[in-house]
Amino acid sequence: MNTKPNIAERSAEKIIADEFMIARAKIVELAATLDRIERARGETADSKPMQLLLQGMHILCDDEFDKAKRVQLLMSRQYDPQWQLRMSISKKGN
Amino acid sequence: MDYIDPHLHMVSRTTDDYETLARMGCVAISEPAFWAGFDRGSVDSFRDYFRQLTDFEPKRAAQYGITHYTWLCINAKEAENVSLSREVIAMIPDFLECKNVLGIGEIGLNKNTRNEATIFMEHVDLAVKFKQQILIHTPHLEDKYQGTRMILDMLIGDSRIDRSRVLVDHVEEHTIEHVLENGFWAGMTLYPVSKCTPQRAADMIERYGPERLMANSAGDWGPSKPTAIPDLIMELKKRGHSKELIQRVVYENPKTFFSQSKPFVHG
Repeated sequence: MNTKPNIAERSAEKIIADEFMIARAKIVELAATLDRIERARGETADSKPMQLLLQGMHILCDDEFDKAKRVQLLMSRQYDPQWQLRMSISKKGN
Repeated sequence: MDYIDPHLHMVSRTTDDYETLARMGCVAISEPAFWAGFDRGSVDSFRDYFRQLTDFEPKRAAQYGITHYTWLCINAKEAENVSLSREVIAMIPDFLECKNVLGIGEIGLNKNTRNEATIFMEHVDLAVKFKQQILIHTPHLEDKYQGTRMILDMLIGDSRIDRSRVLVDHVEEHTIEHVLENGFWAGMTLYPVSKCTPQRAADMIERYGPERLMANSAGDWGPSKPTAIPDLIMELKKRGHSKELIQRVVYENPKTFFSQSKPFVHG
């Protein structure tokens, strides 16, 4: 559930009316990209970029909120809270 | 509408771009020092670059009624050369009294390495020692989340840092919350492909509100659009947002943040 402040002026109906054509064009581009990969020589099923794209598309279709953030995190390297210890970096100014 | 672009690498742009920016309402820009597209070979190369940023570029901007400010550093991409980085950091104080220098920047991480972190902290030391504001570069694409968290760890772990004087740039959906929740200013960079579109920037303004949030074009020598802020203004207008909200993000917020540096005199 979205608990953040939201100052959007437009209704959901207005947004879909305003942005349908833009979103439609993006879906067609994505579909054409997948077709282009499919009809090319070689195999991508096990490639990491292809896996990331497929997982990203699953996020688009699930029922959860924060899709942009979740896609971004999917495409990101992991953060290790112990990185300073691992790199022997000491804290400053304490 | 008058606006300020808080992050724009004008040394890489033509004079025609200054004219276009002026026509579109840009009244001031701030230009962080950054990577030239190749590694510079010596401290003297940086000295010349800093002269360009503090002497030549303000004059070029002034021809079009635009006030030019700058930030100084060696970019994270060059931090693997630790000895050169230290030479540059030692030379920066020679320029801190120049009348358009707002602080130290854009410092940060690139591939999130130990050397980058070391040089980042040495830049922070310099900023603290000379009471300078800080402008932060966060890494690109898959390195952004990890690098942003690492940068925040270093800043939060340093009790000398006044977070209200630090701008963390290039935030996106997965990093903005960490930056704002910890009391820093956040900048959204409007790029054609990577980073953030005007539409996504408008989404973040709607979700997080305008407090401590600004937008920039980060126009440079790569694919970028120096007039991206007017695109954001247009997107916010199309969505029905008030002139006051838009003005706050594109003019008042940069002005408030930069006003903490003595050389900033705009408005």
